[in-house]
Amino acid sequence: MTVTNLRWMALIISFLVLILGGLIGLDLGGFLPVYACPYVGQTRGGVCFLFRLQFILGVGSWEAFKALGEHLLYFSILVVLIGRAWCGWICPFGFLQDVLDLIRRKLHIGYIRFPERLRANLRCIKWIFFFIALLIPLWVAYPLLAPSVAGDLRQPFCQLCPGKYILPLIIGNPDSVAVDFKSATTITMTILGLTFSTIAIIGALLKRRFWCPYCPMGLLLSWYKKISFIKLKKDCQKCTMCEVCYNVCPVEIQQVFKERENEDVTFTDCTLCLRCVEYCPEDGALRATFLGKTIYKSTSKGFFSRQHIIPGVTDDQVIR
Amino acid sequence: MNESTNEQIDEILMNKEADQLQKRKARFARGLVRSAETTLAELEENPDLPESMHYFINIMREVFVKDRAHRLLLPSQNQSANNRKIIGTYCLMVPEELIYAAGATPVRLCGGNYEASLAGDELVPRDTCPVVKASIGFTSLNLMSLYQMCDAVIVPTTCDAKRKMGEELSKFTEVWMLEVPHIKDSEGSRRQWLQQLYALKNNIEKFTGKSFIRRKIRRKALDASIKMIGSAQYQARRLYDIRKSSAAIISGRDAMFAINAYSYDTAFKWTKAMTRLNDELEVRCHKGQFICSEHTPRILIAGSPPIFPNWKIPSLIEEMGAVIVADESCMGNRYLYDPIGLTEKSVTDMMVGIAARYIMPCVCPSFAPNEDRLFRLLQMAEEFSIDGIIYHVLKGCVIYDFELIRVEKIMKGKNIPVLRIETDYSPEDIEQLRTRIEAFVEMLGIRKER
Repeated sequence: MTVTNLRWMALIISFLVLILGGLIGLDLGGFLPVYACPYVGQTRGGVCFLFRLQFILGVGSWEAFKALGEHLLYFSILVVLIGRAWCGWICPFGFLQDVLDLIRRKLHIGYIRFPERLRANLRCIKWIFFFIALLIPLWVAYPLLAPSVAGDLRQPFCQLCPGKYILPLIIGNPDSVAVDFKSATTITMTILGLTFSTIAIIGALLKRRFWCPYCPMGLLLSWYKKISFIKLKKDCQKCTMCEVCYNVCPVEIQQVFKERENEDVTFTDCTLCLRCVEYCPEDGALRATFLGKTIYKSTSKGFFSRQHIIPGVTDDQVIR
Repeated sequence: MNESTNEQIDEILMNKEADQLQKRKARFARGLVRSAETTLAELEENPDLPESMHYFINIMREVFVKDRAHRLLLPSQNQSANNRKIIGTYCLMVPEELIYAAGATPVRLCGGNYEASLAGDELVPRDTCPVVKASIGFTSLNLMSLYQMCDAVIVPTTCDAKRKMGEELSKFTEVWMLEVPHIKDSEGSRRQWLQQLYALKNNIEKFTGKSFIRRKIRRKALDASIKMIGSAQYQARRLYDIRKSSAAIISGRDAMFAINAYSYDTAFKWTKAMTRLNDELEVRCHKGQFICSEHTPRILIAGSPPIFPNWKIPSLIEEMGAVIVADESCMGNRYLYDPIGLTEKSVTDMMVGIAARYIMPCVCPSFAPNEDRLFRLLQMAEEFSIDGIIYHVLKGCVIYDFELIRVEKIMKGKNIPVLRIETDYSPEDIEQLRTRIEAFVEMLGIRKER
């Protein structure tokens, strides 16, 4: 069992649980740090924290804020536990992107890589989304200006989020992909959302984990990277700077191979998919730790078996 | 009447010149055979020589002594094999994967021979390094059929000497320059390098195709050749690991020689032979057949590459009672160390992987800044439990000499002595070097005993 296979298993199971868990009466709560979309309907197994955040802020009462504090606490505990591994191992939308990526790979089409400059410029998108999710609900709660517009803006980020349109579609609910003609506001929001969805699908077919760098949930999760239990670490002396980790990285993090001083290489965008550890050709140059204890590390043998040069070395030997 | 006499005289003179050239060439060729054979015989005399080393010795003998490189590179004499192109390469930045995938055979031409360097002497400035002198000498005088066999030669623009060498070589053979960026950190230079490789791929495709039809490098062929070289690298890494054992199992000159032989052999055959050697050495390790005790000083050769038949420095070090456990030269440990990492089988990903492999982990001093080399050396010193470093500088190799100061500084921090040795291919300074190396090894021995 390689880490990639393990991750696929985790992604498939959590996809089933989060999207179809409701069928067997599962409800994991409203503080999940993944795109567990409530728009999926009764079959959902949990609710995305961003939805609950916007919902509660939109109510605006004192009780609501107390409930928010509680939700935030549970959310924080979950994130501190495994950090952004939620994105790489559990998120249903991440799973969907990985499936599209698999299709691309099976067709032997190459991937697109954005220039660093463009990437840096696009970094603001997740902040914009984040502020939409944080500030507009407050306007909804206290509509001092244009109350009719505010009334139609419930859960504004959700109206833009590709998850709302694509995930229900997966389980055969085509209603979600329609433009909402209720008012000018809803028309704009749904059209924007559908546009983002189309971009996200086409993007994910051409670029690995296309949506992840723009996800406001990812931004929230990345703030916990310093205190979260799972960390990616690097032995700078052992690193040969061969760039393999950068080339296999679905979110294209350069800093991991460029880092020459710090041991901690858990960067903002990192989804902890551990592909870099899996494909690193140096013994012990990269490793994943849980509370400081190494749980997985790179090996030269593992590398060559992954390249199908020597018969398979399973990760059971390195996962302790 | 007068004119015809002049013509006659000219003709006689020209004949005489050609005659002299022939004589000169014959003299160099004799010298080359002699010096190569001496080194080979020395290696064979070693009582601890592993059985499987004979394959590598045989390869060098075929190339340098018997001058029958075609037997190695064009094994079968049928029609299709005769059409097989041979592409010469210099340095280690030329992606052999692309050449193999196009159905051609790469052969690395960096010259290490004294006589050839004498032959090249008058074609280049005095201060040029002997590697370039020898390479030009070999090509210009056709000292070995190996250099004639190459249908094209790829020269990467690494150091100044190699760059100008490419220009000089184009007088004698078809040369393709390959522009290597000298700053590897910047995104722009990496992108430009990738473009260079795509252009090279195009060139190779045109070259190996028939008349005007390009012979495309197929995805599967490229994948197969990456795997083939990957296996070679896996075996090279096994040898690397074997050399880490606290008491040496193979002498450094043998190990370096075996790696050096990769230049003149096809990757597939070399890998098979290397697998045999590694298996044999592992058996020896289990039996406890060490070639020296744990107290023998362990040496790392840093700096310019010793290239066969210039086995002067490795031989001297080991004759003086030390053992070479590692070297960081582009003809030794670094040659086949860094593999290509792929996660998918698209041509894009393979090209990106190839581009990364050939420059990013490479610590050739032609790159600047080259901090990576210091990290690499520190790691090697630790891994191989090095007692001392012999810093080999070939006369004229400015860039390696430049980095000596930094290397000395970090090694001082680790309390590892560094001995700089500047020499070329000539045997003249052997006795003087022997004294210096002897003293160095003796000092290391005393330090180790303490």
